[in-house]
Amino acid sequence: MPTERELAISPIVQESVQHNTQVISNIRSLTASLFGVASGILGLESYAGFLFYLLGTFFVSVLIWSILAKGKQGDYFQGAWSELWAGDVLNGGMSFVLTWTLFYGLVRA
Amino acid sequence: MAGALVQSIHRDPALFYWILFPISIVMVLTGVLRHYATVLLQTAPKKQGLPALREQRSLLRGINLRSNSSAVSSTAFAARRHYLVSAYKDGTFLKDPDNRGKPAGNPMTDPAAMEGMMGMMKGNMAMMIPQTLIMGWINAFFAGFVIMKLPFPLTIRFKSMLQSGVATRDLDVRWVSSLSWYFLNLFGLQSVFIFILGNDNAANQMAQQMSQMNPGAGAGLFQPGQDPDKMFQSEAENLEVVEHEYILKGVEDRLLASIE
Repeated sequence: MPTERELAISPIVQESVQHNTQVISNIRSLTASLFGVASGILGLESYAGFLFYLLGTFFVSVLIWSILAKGKQGDYFQGAWSELWAGDVLNGGMSFVLTWTLFYGLVRA
Repeated sequence: MAGALVQSIHRDPALFYWILFPISIVMVLTGVLRHYATVLLQTAPKKQGLPALREQRSLLRGINLRSNSSAVSSTAFAARRHYLVSAYKDGTFLKDPDNRGKPAGNPMTDPAAMEGMMGMMKGNMAMMIPQTLIMGWINAFFAGFVIMKLPFPLTIRFKSMLQSGVATRDLDVRWVSSLSWYFLNLFGLQSVFIFILGNDNAANQMAQQMSQMNPGAGAGLFQPGQDPDKMFQSEAENLEVVEHEYILKGVEDRLLASIE
């Protein structure tokens, strides 16, 4: 963690931090719904579906990390590594379950 | 039956068009409606008189000086601190200096506090009424039969909730009635609302309930029932113990170090 003095020399603008987390949550909610559609059409059930979601989320995280953050996470997120890699996964999970159920019901059941 | 036998139920495909889609559309539209109702119900903050405003702003000024103290030189900071601390201690900025030391009045009698409570009530009503209405609507129209199969298994405990009105003991819990589709919508539509209404929407009651759990960030500085004089005194103490360090101290060395 940076010391108080370092923070005063190069301050962190709160709005930018919020913007960054906002970008993450937007990407998460969109991709989570799409993963739900995909796994519903594929007809995945129980653990396979959740595993699909986790793998997809990880893949998206890698994309965010490499393309948006250009491999330098510290430039965009101050806190723990999980802000980029696990941020909003639970909220996205709810959307995932919703679209998963819908498309599973439409296609399979 | 333990997996050996997969239950399957033949359902009319019209179930989807007449139950699933209406419920989803109604949920989305209710979210949009709730968002705009909340926007409309928000009353603009009432204009405050000059003394009340001065009381708030001068306290904010002290806080700002404390958090940004490194931006001014030591002499400037000392002068500001001296002025603010003495003014805080004398109660120069107080709205009504005669009331110093008296206990704060009952917040229920304060009209401004009542206003705040009314706003909270309105927010709660905007959440409660649609929720009750939709639950009642679904129970009245769509209860008593299963409409879809969940892609994941649930424990037997969910049976009474998700298959309410379906009186079959051996039916797999994965077959659920329309009420559970309602619950899925309730939890999962937040991302849809983000794309329809933008990020700071008031559409999803779940998100609102979460944010009600930890208020504080957006709350006003002056809660009703707090004694402004005490806040001034504590802020004066905070200011007095600030260890000041000028940010430009040693800047030339840092500059040279960054060039090398």
